[in-house]
Amino acid sequence: MTGMDAILNGGLQGYLVVALLLFAIGLATVLLRRTLLMQFMGVELMLNAANVALLAFARFRGGDAQATVFYLFIIAVAACEAAIGLALVIGLYRHRGTTDSDRAAGLKQ
Amino acid sequence: MFITFAFVTLLGALGMLLQKNVIVAGLCMVATFFGVAGLFLLLANPVAAALQIIVYTGAIMVLVLFVIMMLNSHEEEAAQTARPVQRWVSVALVAALAFGAVKLVLTSAGLKALAVSGEPMPGAMTLQKVGTTLFAEHLLGFEVAGILLLAAMVGAVALTKRNL
Repeated sequence: MTGMDAILNGGLQGYLVVALLLFAIGLATVLLRRTLLMQFMGVELMLNAANVALLAFARFRGGDAQATVFYLFIIAVAACEAAIGLALVIGLYRHRGTTDSDRAAGLKQ
Repeated sequence: MFITFAFVTLLGALGMLLQKNVIVAGLCMVATFFGVAGLFLLLANPVAAALQIIVYTGAIMVLVLFVIMMLNSHEEEAAQTARPVQRWVSVALVAALAFGAVKLVLTSAGLKALAVSGEPMPGAMTLQKVGTTLFAEHLLGFEVAGILLLAAMVGAVALTKRNL
């Protein structure tokens, strides 16, 4: 299965194209939206795109369990990132009353 | 099936990018995570699909939606300074990146060879295989992940508590 056929029926290239488009949309969210929570969701989307590519490659290279173990580690790190990132957003909102990243450009209050 | 889940994933992501209301964007994100879980199922990896639904839609998105409702900032604030040049440059860069990468994937000879003569498809991933690999070969990584989660928990409490 190669080319267009692979994309439509779920070959390796189809999964990689989905992962790439997901990554691009996540990157666009981080660059275009100003709300910190939206940018945070964009980061989560990019992490997910990387996971899709990882597991697709693992499946088409023989499907051993190593990739799933690393997927487990990746989501553990993503959960830590979510907890700390959201705590920082709450702290920023308490200090400045905003979640807009443009309004939080300076370090000094 | 693949094309259905791919559409759910990408439409959810696009909805998140374009949606003004942050809560609706969060719910679009849930749709995306369900689509990705479906893709993992099609990759014969039900373990990863279950983890995706439990951790991402069950824990991380609920946390994000809690914070959105707590901060009471449902709509994006009006821009302080309009930056049309930066926005158009970033749109162009993202489009160029996506186009170039997709073109590279579709024309790569190595990927084509892998898709044609890749290893034979084994059976579905089982929790037993994952557990055996995790505890036999990555025990140290498992313990470090536990410590990392504990540190993140303590850090999140320390950051949000007003007077510690």
